[in-house]
This record gives sequence, structure tokens and C-alpha cells, in this order.
Amino acid sequence: MTTHSALRRVISSRESGTALGLLALCVGLWIATPYFATTANLANVAEQSAVVGVIAIGMTCVILTGGIDLSVGSVVALAGVVIGSALQRGVPVAIAVLLGALAGIVAGAVNGLMVTRGKLPPFIATLGMMSVARGAALMISDGRPISGFPDALRLLATGRPLGIPAPVLLMLVLYVLTHVMLTRTVLGRYLYAIGGNEEASEMAGIHVHRYKTIAYMISGLSASVCALLLVARLDSAQPIAGMGYELDAIAAVVIGGTSLLGGSGSVIGTLIGALIMSVLRNGLNLLGVSSYLQQVAIGVVIVAAVLIDMALRRRVQRSLR
Amino acid sequence: MFQRLSLLVVAVLVAACNRSGDAAAKPTVALVVKTLNNQFFIDMEAGAQAAADSLGFELVVQAPEREIDVERQMQIVENLIQRQVQVILVVPNGSKEIVPAVVKANAARIPVVAVDTRVDAAALTAAGATVATFIGSDNEAGGRMAGAFLVEKLGGSASVAVLEGVPGHETADARLRGFRSALATSKGMQIVASQPANMERDLAFNVTQNILQAHPGITALFACNDVMALGALEAIAAAGKAAQVSVVGFDAQDDARKAIAEKRMAATIAQNPREMGRMAMLTAARLIKGEAVPAEQPVPISLIK
Repeated sequence: MTTHSALRRVISSRESGTALGLLALCVGLWIATPYFATTANLANVAEQSAVVGVIAIGMTCVILTGGIDLSVGSVVALAGVVIGSALQRGVPVAIAVLLGALAGIVAGAVNGLMVTRGKLPPFIATLGMMSVARGAALMISDGRPISGFPDALRLLATGRPLGIPAPVLLMLVLYVLTHVMLTRTVLGRYLYAIGGNEEASEMAGIHVHRYKTIAYMISGLSASVCALLLVARLDSAQPIAGMGYELDAIAAVVIGGTSLLGGSGSVIGTLIGALIMSVLRNGLNLLGVSSYLQQVAIGVVIVAAVLIDMALRRRVQRSLR
Repeated sequence: MFQRLSLLVVAVLVAACNRSGDAAAKPTVALVVKTLNNQFFIDMEAGAQAAADSLGFELVVQAPEREIDVERQMQIVENLIQRQVQVILVVPNGSKEIVPAVVKANAARIPVVAVDTRVDAAALTAAGATVATFIGSDNEAGGRMAGAFLVEKLGGSASVAVLEGVPGHETADARLRGFRSALATSKGMQIVASQPANMERDLAFNVTQNILQAHPGITALFACNDVMALGALEAIAAAGKAAQVSVVGFDAQDDARKAIAEKRMAATIAQNPREMGRMAMLTAARLIKGEAVPAEQPVPISLIK
């Protein structure tokens, strides 16, 4: 592929529209407030986007298959208190982190099995898990936040390798890995195929159940990574953490142009979607906009982004005709 | 199409920045409360705003959408640091969880004043961070006051239910400690149920309904804030036990005062959020001038029955 055609592909891709939206938002804020376009603030925004950005990775994989995962917010809390209580019992950081990851993967696997073997609609299955994981988090922690962790863990929030905040670096690495997985591997192609047409995929010999379950496991794992970031950031593992994160993650995915019907979208779009959400929140804080109006603005942007995406798609279809 | 999105976004932003267009010249102080879905913090905001107006200061008020959202509050503080406000007055959503945000404010040399809820002293020391001062009610004394009132009213013998706040949060925990210590002085006062209702009215309604199922004979209920007390009142009335249960709340909100006047509620502890907001703003002015301020500034409380 020549550089020229690669460039054209980038410009005509769906994400470029979302990226333009992000750019417009940034330019608007740059004009509106002198505090926005500073290095410190941009690092700050990137760091704030990491929390929801990471969960949105797994959410993208699930939504690509035509599913949804409402349990991620609760799984964040569950994985967080697993990590927290393990550390409190003197378990080494690495093992505690692995246990947290395991908690997320198991929750995801159960979601996947309920959806595939149990034939439950993903909405119902993960709604159940949302409550179960929250309850489990409260039971493990006895309802109390757990705090006071080793510096090694705190480094994940405070570290600046290569001058980049550690959570941002971790998020970017995960996005690159997932992008490669979705575009260059069999697993990725199957996820798109299943979301595009499940029956056809089945007939083509794809183990639909297996790959769908893997998508939910990825979602659980990304919730665990988010939990790790959150625990490091607040130096506290909270059984009530992550409430409402599922909706922020879904919003990031949808703003990023991934279809809730499955089969189309990209994780790069999701990254831009997550950035739009955190830039917007940051900007509204910098401008001193009232909390009430902030919620209105965020809602408007979510709906506007999807409206524009749909209109664009119709235009593309017309031009193809 | 995207031009349209951009236009929309820019329009929102321009509209927003017009609202605070003249902010640059005045000293700017930020007040970050737990949530604005609670009259208490709206009163606090009013007190701070009145003081800011008389001082000629700009006041920025921000809050997470949900009282339990410690992460969001941290983001707000980070963003205010970027905005270079001169002082951050904060009502921490989590006494320990706010510490990393205080560390960041310290690094930016922005003084932090804790209002209403303390920042965990041990966590603060461990992180090497400092808070300029604490301005708030003595919540433990308030809890004791509530407990002593119930002991006296019910002649030292009662079956008591308690609605706790968000687990692990200092304000409600202090009230509970005070309440429990007052009840401990009297053997006949039995706490039969003590459940968290997260300072939320609808949750308090449900929790109280559940408690009434398990303990239909309760004669007193203490809620760590009025929002929960009012939810409990409704559940108790719905169960037809309004005459049987004496409900005591905390915060003396307008709705609670009204319920007390109508004899539906027994008592509440009056904090003075307006005064708290005013004192916080005056303290911010002193900090901007570089004056020393006392480490603790108690705001008076009283029992309303």
C-alpha cells in the first residue's frame, strides 16, 4: 500500500469524523479558556480519560458482537476490593494484581456463558452480574473502603515513564494491542463477523459461543485493569466504586461510531469517544459551568455525535448507490 | 455535518464562558461540595456566595453528580488546579480518597480548606500533604446530642433502628460514634438494626421498610442525615407506625423542620451550612492575603425539637 492511499484511507475512515469533532471541541476550549491548552492540563485530561477509556476497550469488543456489558462498573468494584483486600493481607503486589485480573475474567466468563449457553439476552445476563458483582464486592470488603497500599502500586498512578502519566501509557498500549487484535487477527475478524451476522458466522464454521464468551472475558479483564488504575489513583479500594461507569463506557463506544447493533466500529473510535467525554468534562470544569448544565451538555454531545454518525452513514450509502 | 457538531459545541462553550467572562480580574475561589442534590450544600453555597459577593471574589461551585463518586471529585479538583483558582474549599466525598487530590493542590501551591467533612489525618500525614484548616460542625457532639435526646424522651428504654451513611465516610461515622456513645450510657436503649442508606432518601425508604419487617417493634430511629430521616418517615407512615416511632435526623433542613413543626418527626440536629460556607469564604480571603488561620474552626450546632 502506498503512503498516498494509506493517507486517503485514514481521511475517509469513520474515525476521522469523530476525530474532527474532538479537534473542534479542543479548538473551542482553546479559544474559550487560557487554562485548557497547557501541557499540564492536557496530561491531566489524558489521565482522567484513562479510567473510562480502559473499560471502553472491553465494551467495544462486546458491542462489536452485538452484545452489551452492563456489569463492568460493578466488576471494577469487585476487582478493586479483591486487589485491595489481598494487599491488606500482605500478598505481593504482582499476585494481588493477578487475582484482580482473575476476578474480572471469571465475571466475564460467567457473563459469556449466560449469554451463549444460557441463551439469555446480554442485557439481562449482565444486569444480573452487575448486582452479583456489586454484592460480592460489598461482602469481601465488608462495605468499607480499603486503603493504604504499597508505593509500587501507587506508582501506577503517579509514575511518569517517558514523561507520560503511567495510566495514559497503559491505556494507549492496551488500545494499540486491541486495535491490532481486532484488525489483524482471526479473533478480531470473528468478533466483527459474529456481530455482522451471527447465523452466517455459525454456518461458516465459527465457534460463535467460544468467541462471544472471549469478548465478555476481555470486557471483564479491562474492568480489572480499570480497577487497578482506580485503586492506585485514589489509594483506596471502594466497594461502591465504578457506579455508572458502564454508561460512560457505552457512551464512549457509541460516540466513537461503533454500532450498538454490532459488526461495525473500531476501538480507535472508542478512544476518541473517551477523550471527547473527558475533554468535555474538563472544559466545563475549567469554564466553571454549573454542575447541572454540565450534565445537559454531556447528554447533548452524546446524542449529537450519534445523530451525525447516522447522517454520515446515510450519505455514504447514497454516494455508493 | 461535523461543522454542525462543532458549531453546537462551540455555541455551548461560548454561552458557558460568557457566564464567567469577567472572572480573570477577581480572585477566584473554588467550592467543591459532595453533590448539589442536597439542600445542605446548596445552603453552604449560598453562604459562601454571599461572602464572596461582599469580598468582591469570584466563587466557582462544582460537585460530582453523585455523593459516592470519589473519582469524579478528584477530577474536579485536578481541573480546578489547572484553572489556577487561588483557594480550593472542599467537602471531601471520601476522607481518605481526597488525599491524592490534596497532594496535587499542594504541589501547585493552592491552599486546600476542608469544609464539613475532615480529611483523614493519618492518610494526609502518610502522603506528606497538608490542609490549611478544617471548618465544620463537631459531628460527634451532634450525634451525642441526638442520642441524649432520645434517651430522655423515651425514658431510657427503647428499641432503636439506625440509618447509617455511606460506609467509611467520616461525617456520618462521627455522628454514629457520638450517637452510640450516648446510648451506651443507658442499658434500656437497644440498637436492634443499623443499616447503611447512603444518605439517600429513596434508599432510606426501602431500608426502613425492610427494618420494619424484621423489627416491627422499634420505637426510635436515628438517621445520620435528614434526607434519610425523611425517607424513613414516609416508610414508617406507610406502615401505620407514625405514632410508635420517634425519628431523629441531622442537618435541620427545611423539610425536616417542617416535619418537626407538624409533630411527624421528633428532632434534628441543626448544623449551620450557611455559616460554614461564609466562614470558609472568609478563611479563603485570609489565606489569599497570606494570613495564618487556626487548624480547626468549629461551627456551632444545636438541637431542634
